[in-house]
Amino acid sequence: MTAWWDYSLADFLLFSPRVYYRLFENMNTTWGLVVASALLAGVIAFYLALRHGLRGNRIIPVLLALVWAWSGYGFLWQYYLPINWAVSYLLPGFVLQVVLFVIFAVRPLPLCFGWRGDFSSYVGLALVAFALIVYPFIGLIEGRGLIQAELFGSAADPTVLGTLGFVLLSRGTWRWVLLPVPLAWCVISAGTLWVMDQKVAVVMLVALWMTVFCGWLDFRNGVTRRRLETAEID
Amino acid sequence: MNATFKGNGNMTRHHITRRTFLTGAGMLGIGGLVAARLPGAGLAHAASGPQPLHHRIPGTDHALPAVGLGSWITFNVGNDPVLLKNCTDVMAAFFAAGGAMIDSSPMYGSSQATIGHGLAELGIDREQVFATDKVWTSDEDGGPEQIDESARRWGIRQFNLLQVHNMLDWENQLPLLQDMKAAGALGYTGITTSHGRRHDLLGIIMEREAIDFIQVTYNPLDRAVEDRILPMARERNIAVIINRPFRGGRLTKALRGQPMPGLAADYGAQSWAQLILKYIVSHPAVTCAIPATTRVDHVRENMAAITPMPDADKVLLPEGKERHAIARAIEAAL
Repeated sequence: MTAWWDYSLADFLLFSPRVYYRLFENMNTTWGLVVASALLAGVIAFYLALRHGLRGNRIIPVLLALVWAWSGYGFLWQYYLPINWAVSYLLPGFVLQVVLFVIFAVRPLPLCFGWRGDFSSYVGLALVAFALIVYPFIGLIEGRGLIQAELFGSAADPTVLGTLGFVLLSRGTWRWVLLPVPLAWCVISAGTLWVMDQKVAVVMLVALWMTVFCGWLDFRNGVTRRRLETAEID
Repeated sequence: MNATFKGNGNMTRHHITRRTFLTGAGMLGIGGLVAARLPGAGLAHAASGPQPLHHRIPGTDHALPAVGLGSWITFNVGNDPVLLKNCTDVMAAFFAAGGAMIDSSPMYGSSQATIGHGLAELGIDREQVFATDKVWTSDEDGGPEQIDESARRWGIRQFNLLQVHNMLDWENQLPLLQDMKAAGALGYTGITTSHGRRHDLLGIIMEREAIDFIQVTYNPLDRAVEDRILPMARERNIAVIINRPFRGGRLTKALRGQPMPGLAADYGAQSWAQLILKYIVSHPAVTCAIPATTRVDHVRENMAAITPMPDADKVLLPEGKERHAIARAIEAAL
């Protein structure tokens, strides 16, 4: 009996880098306004997180729910699925993430987003800034045009990276439930990019490792357990 | 070369003059690619231009061009109209050069649909295509539905050849294919593997089961099948399709820029790719190789490797020790 475990990672690389990056070009040109709006939503969420405001704690999860919903529908469903049947197994993860963000937006004690000045905050800040500002330009290093830029809110990788940053910038006992889907995506995406010989695969693995490390630091320092109310003063 | 493939996939044993879509690759100008059925083109006879080398399917009177067209990765382009056009152009050049076998799989993403798109755009006669696909499921009862879906994506009713992809659930899927063949719904049956994996199991199936084709990896660097699998295929009259002739493009990429060995000229090979293909298809057990490409110039180059030069009446191929010399030259160039 030959079975699934006989396959290697390379066996499941179904497409070439050329086809993969054309997905972003087609998405950016076809859905330009929506793509720009999703990026703007990320910028607003970042601004609200740094403002440390009570309203932001409600709005940020809503914005993140919207960009995950759009990335799941717009990128995964519309563009990625036709060239990668495995995406059908990943889509439920995006749906789950949207539901979780909605729950966090409406629960009585919301997550508290803000700068704490600790190491996790630095990493969270760096991840969000990297996802919003730097990641779209990474393709230039590989010789791809900006038209193929992967933008936060639409392309999955920068959306996931930014989300990891937002979670690290937040406080709340249950914030860790927001991590499994993005972390799993980091592993899957890193594997895909690695098999395609794309050096950016390292970025996904570094983000994963940093997030787990910061999570451990926060747990050890009791960041998660601190009373949320103390940080909700505008 | 006299041979043809009946569109219903049920191979007939009598000879029919092979039809070509165009009279030769030379009819295509730079970027000039066939995008629609040309009047009478489907009835143009092979004699009007140099025809590619054909290898007989063992145990039959039919023959296939010794180079086919793979679709792994290269034809998985989704709904991208630019890339679909590109793949259609590749197919046009392939058929224009006398190609016939196109190979795909349900595992290959949108490749089947891309092939169907290309066939429809080009208006290719069904008889010109040796439609080769696979069944790839671990669902004991899932084979028929998957095969129907594959045929729908290709835009055809039946396949010429269906193989059990990577021998997945072969105990259930191979009997299905054998039943289809017995019922006249399929021309040939086969099994596949790649990357040199599971040759022990492949050998067992070849010994025990009635199969017409195997598909394995073989190139000047990956020669594991020479020891047992290829001799066994000859002994048992099993046709052999070769996948990954260029190691997924990595072999030709590694050889790029390296000077061609002097012996390449002896066989009319003008590139490393042509020398590799000549090495592969010159093995007496090999029926055809199926390189995949996204480039029109590459598919022409591949087909030219098995097409006689204008001033020659046959393709120059290495034999015996000459083949070993080619393998050594390629190893030395890396």
